[in-house]
Amino acid sequence: MNAPSLTRSLAAAVGLFLAALLLSWMFHGTGVVRNDPKRNIHIPEELTMPLQVKAAFDGEKIFFRYRWPAREPRIYHDMLRYEGGKWVRIGRSVPGPQPEHIYEDRVTMLVDDGAVPEFERYGGYITIGDRMRFFTDEASKKEVEAHPYLGKTAKQEEVRKHLPETRTDIADWSSVIPQDKLAAQRKAGYFLDLWHWRAHRSNPIGASDDEVIAEARFGDKGRGVFTNNWDAKLARPQLMFDPEKTGGRYALRWEDLAERKLGFDDLYYLREDQAKPFDPGHAWKDGDVIPQRLLRAGDGSHADIKVHGNARWKDGYWDVTLVRAMDTGNPLDDKMFMDRRAYTIAFAVHRDATGSRWHYVSLPVRLGLNRDADLKAVQFAGDGPKWEQAWHEVKLFYPGQVSWPMLNSRKHAGAEKIKQGVPVKFRHSEAQLAHYGVEMEFNDAIIRQWRLTLVAGLLLIAGFGVALLVLLGNKRNAS
Amino acid sequence: MSAYHVMLVHFPIALWTTAFLIILARALSDAPAVRAAEGALTPLLALGALSGAAAFVAGLLVWPPEAVASSPLVRNHLLLAGWSLAYWTLLWLVRWRGGERVWQGAFRWVMLGLAALGVGLQTLTGTIGGYLAGNPSAVSEIVRRLGWEVFTTFYLPDWVLVVLVVSALVLAGLGVVGRRQAVQ
Repeated sequence: MNAPSLTRSLAAAVGLFLAALLLSWMFHGTGVVRNDPKRNIHIPEELTMPLQVKAAFDGEKIFFRYRWPAREPRIYHDMLRYEGGKWVRIGRSVPGPQPEHIYEDRVTMLVDDGAVPEFERYGGYITIGDRMRFFTDEASKKEVEAHPYLGKTAKQEEVRKHLPETRTDIADWSSVIPQDKLAAQRKAGYFLDLWHWRAHRSNPIGASDDEVIAEARFGDKGRGVFTNNWDAKLARPQLMFDPEKTGGRYALRWEDLAERKLGFDDLYYLREDQAKPFDPGHAWKDGDVIPQRLLRAGDGSHADIKVHGNARWKDGYWDVTLVRAMDTGNPLDDKMFMDRRAYTIAFAVHRDATGSRWHYVSLPVRLGLNRDADLKAVQFAGDGPKWEQAWHEVKLFYPGQVSWPMLNSRKHAGAEKIKQGVPVKFRHSEAQLAHYGVEMEFNDAIIRQWRLTLVAGLLLIAGFGVALLVLLGNKRNAS
Repeated sequence: MSAYHVMLVHFPIALWTTAFLIILARALSDAPAVRAAEGALTPLLALGALSGAAAFVAGLLVWPPEAVASSPLVRNHLLLAGWSLAYWTLLWLVRWRGGERVWQGAFRWVMLGLAALGVGLQTLTGTIGGYLAGNPSAVSEIVRRLGWEVFTTFYLPDWVLVVLVVSALVLAGLGVVGRRQAVQ
């Protein structure tokens, strides 16, 4: 027996085996996750972000103050640019950041008073139904418009957030329950109040959108605080800047937007009282820009929420305070706030010029008005809150494509726990959910690679085993 | 089935951990007491492989197959459990077929290395099992710092898979060629 030769062969086998292990460690998790706009996939660079919140009330009004980091403020949105004799829309929602950065920052807050019990346990996940807007398998505009209720009556064009019990089958977006039952649900409080602040629509006029989530996402009753300035028939703006009210200005200039020269104190938005009917005879030049959204004084329940003070971005952070009457008198649209009551709220932030589902969301947070809670609203007297309390820190995360039907299906190992009412926080952290959200967007491809990895690893072990057993030899030739 | 899986995994963990301690001692010492203890290694490893296989099968029945395939943590748990079982089974076969020769020359260090890898794998498997059972530990933080986020599936790109398969074939070939050269 040539012992040195045997040792050399053994060393080579061990070296190759260890090299294969090292290679596996270095390159694991690569080759699958990549942006794919055709499948509505864009993965943000950061999967989590912080949000700070404070709340205060005086018995009449309730205030929420939000603070979050953003590299730059995104305050432009939906612009109509004149190009070669045509008006072209810039700023459509796309997977990931809008390429020209024409997409506004936002903060949103869902509110429930206990009438939607699943919300306390699972937060916004319950609103993500089957074939949602901007999911890879999203329902088409044609399908939604053809729906007898969502399309024909509610005038929806896409499947938006909705509550599970508004469907007979949570795994079928179209299975909406009859309208009389929807109305009864709404009367019983089975809806989520949605506070929706937008940096362009309509922070410049000190207003916020007020919406509701029930069988779909709707604006509250009344006139919204912004509207569309696009004349689809004539393919041009309906309104333009009134030069007599805007210092001789007819339009913005594209270069000012592209270079982000216009700040909070400049005119970068179109306000109803500064607008006049569009003049097609004006000598429009390439690069002239008119905002596609018209900001206006809303009314009714739709305009209940206001910006308190000035919502501004400074030194890398947005600081936004919203205020609303505790009792708006609109119980079919709003959740009323009462002293000594507890509520469930959940937040979301859009930043970096992203829209639609490319946001960061929170898990549910318990809000208490003189009640023990995660976030305690401080009672005050006087002109406004002093904000002397500490911030409540919330970790937001990118949720990916995880729907309520999937979470309740056999695909989710925790589906039984959901049936038992175990809250999402008990099992999952925000970072964990962010990673899961990303993996779910590539689930089929990852399953394939994982299976092959399992088999390849076993083959490697088997190969090494064969090498060892052969080199050891059998008992007859051992000597 | 979850409760039975948790009950069953105690056996391979205990048996393999004991086996590791014996291998460690035997790799470092030829003392008679250590040699005597090493006599129990083959049955320990055999029982470990059998109870490990039973725990593996019970684990497969905890969730529906769709959930096993779609959960990153479950995927990782299954992958690591499969590899742990394979490693320790390999050790059993090597010790069983090789007899006392596995402690001669460089083989003893290979035995120790394999056992250390096996213990590492079973620790990771248990860590992820802890997450799944609702008892997360800080071990995952160590792994995270070494470059693997355990909330993401451990998978390899196609080209690395090809390298692994080729490596497996080359390893087997190395054994055969090395043996022939040694006996010439």
